[in-house]
Amino acid sequence: MFGYIVPEKPEMKIKEYELFRAYYCGVCRSIGRRHGQLKRLALNYDSAFLAVLLSAIAEERVDVQRKRCIAHPLQKRHIICGSSIVDYASDINIILAYYNLEDKQRDEASVVSASALVMLKRAFCRLRKQYRDKCEFIESQLNELLRLEKEKCPSMDMAAEPFARLMEEVTAYEPVCAGSREEILRWIGYNLGKWIYLMDAFDDIEKDIRNGNYNPLVCQFGYENQSVSEFRQQIRDKVEFTLVYSLNEISKAFELLDIKANKGILENIIYMGMLRKTENTLGIRRCSEVEESV
Amino acid sequence: MKLKNPYEVLGIREGASEDEIKAAYRELVKKYHPDQYQNNPLAKLAEEKLREINEAYDYLMKNASARGNASSGSSRSGNRGSYRSDGSDFFSQVRSHINSGNIKLAEDMLDSAGSRPAAWYYLKGLIFMRKGWYDEAYSHLQRAVNMDPSNYEYRSALNRMNASNNAYRANSFNRGFSRKEPDLCTVCQWLWCADCCCECAGGDLISCC
Repeated sequence: MFGYIVPEKPEMKIKEYELFRAYYCGVCRSIGRRHGQLKRLALNYDSAFLAVLLSAIAEERVDVQRKRCIAHPLQKRHIICGSSIVDYASDINIILAYYNLEDKQRDEASVVSASALVMLKRAFCRLRKQYRDKCEFIESQLNELLRLEKEKCPSMDMAAEPFARLMEEVTAYEPVCAGSREEILRWIGYNLGKWIYLMDAFDDIEKDIRNGNYNPLVCQFGYENQSVSEFRQQIRDKVEFTLVYSLNEISKAFELLDIKANKGILENIIYMGMLRKTENTLGIRRCSEVEESV
Repeated sequence: MKLKNPYEVLGIREGASEDEIKAAYRELVKKYHPDQYQNNPLAKLAEEKLREINEAYDYLMKNASARGNASSGSSRSGNRGSYRSDGSDFFSQVRSHINSGNIKLAEDMLDSAGSRPAAWYYLKGLIFMRKGWYDEAYSHLQRAVNMDPSNYEYRSALNRMNASNNAYRANSFNRGFSRKEPDLCTVCQWLWCADCCCECAGGDLISCC
């Protein structure tokens, strides 16, 4: 359920894009350096966003260097180096990737996810010791989620709660949580988690109906053998309301943070990138609709 | 707490003109207005921020205009919304718990309530909003409005939820977000049309076709 938090590239300034990529590469490199090269495959955009957000309010000075990396051997790239926040984001990346794989493995066992689990196992065990409290909290929320899934919880809000709480915990990184920031970061994290969970649920409607798996939206709105696209059409407005409302809450909380850096990148992602992703996932902007209007 | 640079607070360059200060101030007040943060867990912080903005504005206006027309534009009274007693002590108690941020207690009280009139659904809706359960919040407010259509407070809470999403979208739109962006096939169509027109006029835009 990762990779939804993306920037709206066409509206980005070039320097912002370069910096965002430097964070992305920084997280990737940090994973490679500290956990082993193969684990870099678990990289996703969400942790780059986490790094950008947290270092926007940290006092830490960022060190941008030009380096080569394995994925892009020909061209040197800007990479953020030696940042404790980037390291944190990369740790969280590994931890969440591991839990996600475990969950996938439970749903539908496959060779790919099984071998990925084996690959991540050692790094994960080390991190679990380091972040014991966070990991225990994450596990309790995932168990809660599992319980709700078993009960076939018929409310998207209730079903999204554990994952939202999980993201809330992850976003509240203690070293940058001075004063009122913790409260703000937690509210951002909560709404991020809610948004991600529901986006994922909408994306998976078809697959879940086919496989008979639990899906909060299918349960809440009572799917009755109509065609999947019809069903998606029916529930679209309702789901869109909650998704955009969550984005709105993220933006309002974000406006209360005293941002020291990365403002343009964050505004781009919060006001445009995530809204674009929402509309694309819900299928609001279609090629045919555009053509009709021309 | 140390005093912040008032120019920084308003997000303008030092030595900005009076009009610039006023414009920036108006924007910020709109952004952090209590209406925007009603039933939001961060409402207190927004209030603080607004106070900071008001102080910065007052300070700058006092200094900017030696003429003495430094009218303080900060008479923002606490926007609590008119308090309507629902004719029952129980609900006003729940309401005061919600206002003081004691959500858990308010929710427990409501859940143990015997009867469920419109006020029950309204308050439950407010609690859901604080918790971040927007879908439930909306349907509870909707229900409260349906049960008591004449109640202005219920209706305005529901309207606020609707308006809130529009505000976010308007903000995205101002930053350049557009739903009707031309995709690749539209651009090609335009090019092809332009080429035809040029050829009709005797010229050529795309020489190979």
